[in-house]
Amino acid sequence: MAVKQEAPVRVDRNFWIVTLVLALLSVAAVAYWMNAPVAKWLPAASDSAEDVDDLFRFMAASGSALMIYVLGYLLYFVIAFRAKKTDAPNAIGVQVHDNHTLEFWWTIVPAVFVVILSILSVKIWFGIQLQPSNGLVVEAIGHQWYYSFRAPGVNGEIPNEIHVPVNKQVTIDVTSTDVIHSFWIPQFRVKADMVPGLVNTIRFTPNTVGRYQIICAEFCGTQHGEMNKQYFVVDPPATFATWLKGWQIKNANVSDALPKAGSGAAIDLSKGVAASGQALFAQKCSSCHAIAAFDHKVVGPGLKGILSDPNHPNLVDGDPATAANIAVILQKGYTGPIGMMPNQSANGLSDGDIANLVAYLASLK
Amino acid sequence: MAVAAVHTSGGIADHIHPEPQGFIRRYVFSIDHKIIGIQYLITGFVFLVLAGLLAELIRVQLMNANGGFISPDTYNEIYTMHGSAMVWLVIIPIVTGGFGNFIFPLQLGARDVAFPWLNMLSFWMFPVAGLLLFSSFLLGAPVAGWTEYPPMSLQGGVGTSMWCVAIFLVGVSSTLTGMNFMVTILKMRAPGMTFTRMPLFVWAQLATAPLSMVATTALAAALAALFMERQFGIPFYDPARGGSPVLWQHMFWFYSHPAVYIMILPVFGIISEVLPTFARKPVFGYKLIAFSSVAIALAGFMVWAHHMFTSGLAPYLQLPFMILTFTIAVPTGVKIFSWMATLWGGKIHYTTALLFAVGFLALFTFGGVTGIFLAAVPFDLHAHGTYFIVGHFHYVLVGGSLMGIFAGMYYWFPKFSGRMLNETIGKWHFWLFFVGFNGTFLPMHWLGFLGMPRRVAEYDPQFQMWNRVESVSSFIMTFAILLFFINMFVSMRNGKKAGPNPWGGRTLEWMIPSPPHYYNFKNIPTVYALPYDFSEPLPYKGLEDELNDKPPAQLAGAHH
Repeated sequence: MAVKQEAPVRVDRNFWIVTLVLALLSVAAVAYWMNAPVAKWLPAASDSAEDVDDLFRFMAASGSALMIYVLGYLLYFVIAFRAKKTDAPNAIGVQVHDNHTLEFWWTIVPAVFVVILSILSVKIWFGIQLQPSNGLVVEAIGHQWYYSFRAPGVNGEIPNEIHVPVNKQVTIDVTSTDVIHSFWIPQFRVKADMVPGLVNTIRFTPNTVGRYQIICAEFCGTQHGEMNKQYFVVDPPATFATWLKGWQIKNANVSDALPKAGSGAAIDLSKGVAASGQALFAQKCSSCHAIAAFDHKVVGPGLKGILSDPNHPNLVDGDPATAANIAVILQKGYTGPIGMMPNQSANGLSDGDIANLVAYLASLK
Repeated sequence: MAVAAVHTSGGIADHIHPEPQGFIRRYVFSIDHKIIGIQYLITGFVFLVLAGLLAELIRVQLMNANGGFISPDTYNEIYTMHGSAMVWLVIIPIVTGGFGNFIFPLQLGARDVAFPWLNMLSFWMFPVAGLLLFSSFLLGAPVAGWTEYPPMSLQGGVGTSMWCVAIFLVGVSSTLTGMNFMVTILKMRAPGMTFTRMPLFVWAQLATAPLSMVATTALAAALAALFMERQFGIPFYDPARGGSPVLWQHMFWFYSHPAVYIMILPVFGIISEVLPTFARKPVFGYKLIAFSSVAIALAGFMVWAHHMFTSGLAPYLQLPFMILTFTIAVPTGVKIFSWMATLWGGKIHYTTALLFAVGFLALFTFGGVTGIFLAAVPFDLHAHGTYFIVGHFHYVLVGGSLMGIFAGMYYWFPKFSGRMLNETIGKWHFWLFFVGFNGTFLPMHWLGFLGMPRRVAEYDPQFQMWNRVESVSSFIMTFAILLFFINMFVSMRNGKKAGPNPWGGRTLEWMIPSPPHYYNFKNIPTVYALPYDFSEPLPYKGLEDELNDKPPAQLAGAHH
């Protein structure tokens, strides 16, 4: 049996010396972190990025103070209270079970810290997440494995890079056409996932002209690691205006079909233009459908003579092959034994697009 | 004398079942919690080797900024399998099924768990699931990471469906084990072992069991839906057909955040046993350590969406998740401070187990601090999906869970095997591991901050220098683990004989021979107090015959 401890060991002078040294070290660490040149390591190019850095400095300062105390005391305890050769083999430590004062304080101090950190975080969060929209709105769309962009007054999509003016708030609405991607620009300390079927929003005011790499931070397939070759360019206002005007002229004749949800109501097919439908077919349909006999499948069946094929008087959903029923499939999409076709909104078709497509298909004899 | 002891214990759990005969019933389809515990440990360590080798392939690939060692598709399979295997086939089975099974029924003074057959069934699902998971390499392993977010996971090859089935199986195993352990702790404590006399490792398992039971069922539902969508085209997650990819994220993290606590709470229990034994002091603040485990487990259910701050949550929803996550720092801090105070004024013996426990305190605290960083929404919007996260969770799961597993192995290996692990090799293991670990995972924090996303097979050349430091350090870490396995193999045969209680431990498992008899205790002891008072006599009665050659009174009666 172990021997009874005689008098309990009290906190000695060494403990207070160590505590003082750790206090000095942690004050030094806090002083360093509160003024750490974070923007020198990674430029902060918006006001909200600087706010995030303030929060980072506060957490790094308090975190390193905590680490200094924990590591310092651990090291001190392990050295000071080691079992020595001169100790009896069955020597035991001080038999204290708890100390309510100590336990009270090491519960209360972290709790107070949590309150302070919450207040600070919520304050900065408001500035980032809830600032009202009053500037430029652009869109970024994720694809495997690149981004495309849309800007106000520009028809269709802009490849490669997007420009915005400096010192003007920008709202970036992001989404995806296939899997989840992410839109991250480290210099603005902000990212949003690009989720198919959802629009997420990033909002900030860039304050430094420059070219900023856009990085995908959500795994999206084989070339995820290479999805970082495109740029978010912050221009002086005049340069931006020129860039925007250039795209407005260049894309003037491009279709501006927006991926929007269909109403589900019957579509007026009378204004369909076969020539427009043919162009659209090449963009939207030809990767899955050939202009050939039904049996010539790519992913879905061949569509030549869809309204006049004696072997297939009905469409794949069982309805009679009429122009109106083709429009219904295009609206609702199709899921069945021969496969799956996305619906109107997933395919990014307007009602007019559907009318054009039906006119084109009807023209194929 | 023996007869009297039988009368003082009693109860339904006192009955000794006949000894299993034959190799198969003893060691393969055993219903003995100790054998099952060893089976979990061995299987878990086999998967640790496999998943560790995958990690080294990752580190070799990342030696160069443009990759080039393996193709991006192979790389994606490898990191996905590394994560999935480490979480579901290594850490969870080792800390619950392994240490849990072997140790806590002994600490309770029980002869087995409540449902021994169910225990055997739970175990055998685990190697089957592991084989299924690893054989997916033959058919195209999953690629979308251990989180398998759809729609990406809908694109993956047939291996992704095998992943669903395998993880579902380990999930069922984990749920059943949780239920089994909970009933055992609630109903099979030795006479006199009130809740506030239970060793802290038992408390840790009691806090973990409901997490395994409740959270894992949400994962099972999510997996079943993913499997049905992939195999039968029933749309749950595909937005093109009316599904929601974010639904998966909610269900996945509703499990996987509590799963973090499934992986760490039992390790808290290990630390709470190792520190007092080697500091020769009662654990400081027993009740606060016990209750804070329960508080952490409960709070762990209410913070899952902090993994989803960039996914498109309604903005206001981010605030409660952020603040609730911050508050978990309070009970976690209480634990860390209590463990440090346990060391104060001790007579600390520098055993390998103690070194790993102290190393755990240092590294886990750091992982906790960076966890606070990530809980703060404004910072998370920058750091989410980067190497900062990878660094953070490896500090928690390797610096925390795996260091704790090593502490537990050096501490309890004598009880498992009857022989001591070699302490000299053990100390080399510790120091190489500690240095290699920090070299591998510390630089990840600034790489992530500066712009390196996770799950990439190639990266910006500006990050190459630190990635090489990480890779070289990871080779040191792997070498340290190799030393551990060598140590186990050598010591199993040639290690010093341990005897019943080589460390002067005071919990009940140290009161019986190493390894214990199949019935654990000849007579169920009666418990009078907490075990941790080193100045007091041992608080047990009825243990007089445990270390002599007399057969248990029950069996002696049957034979004569």
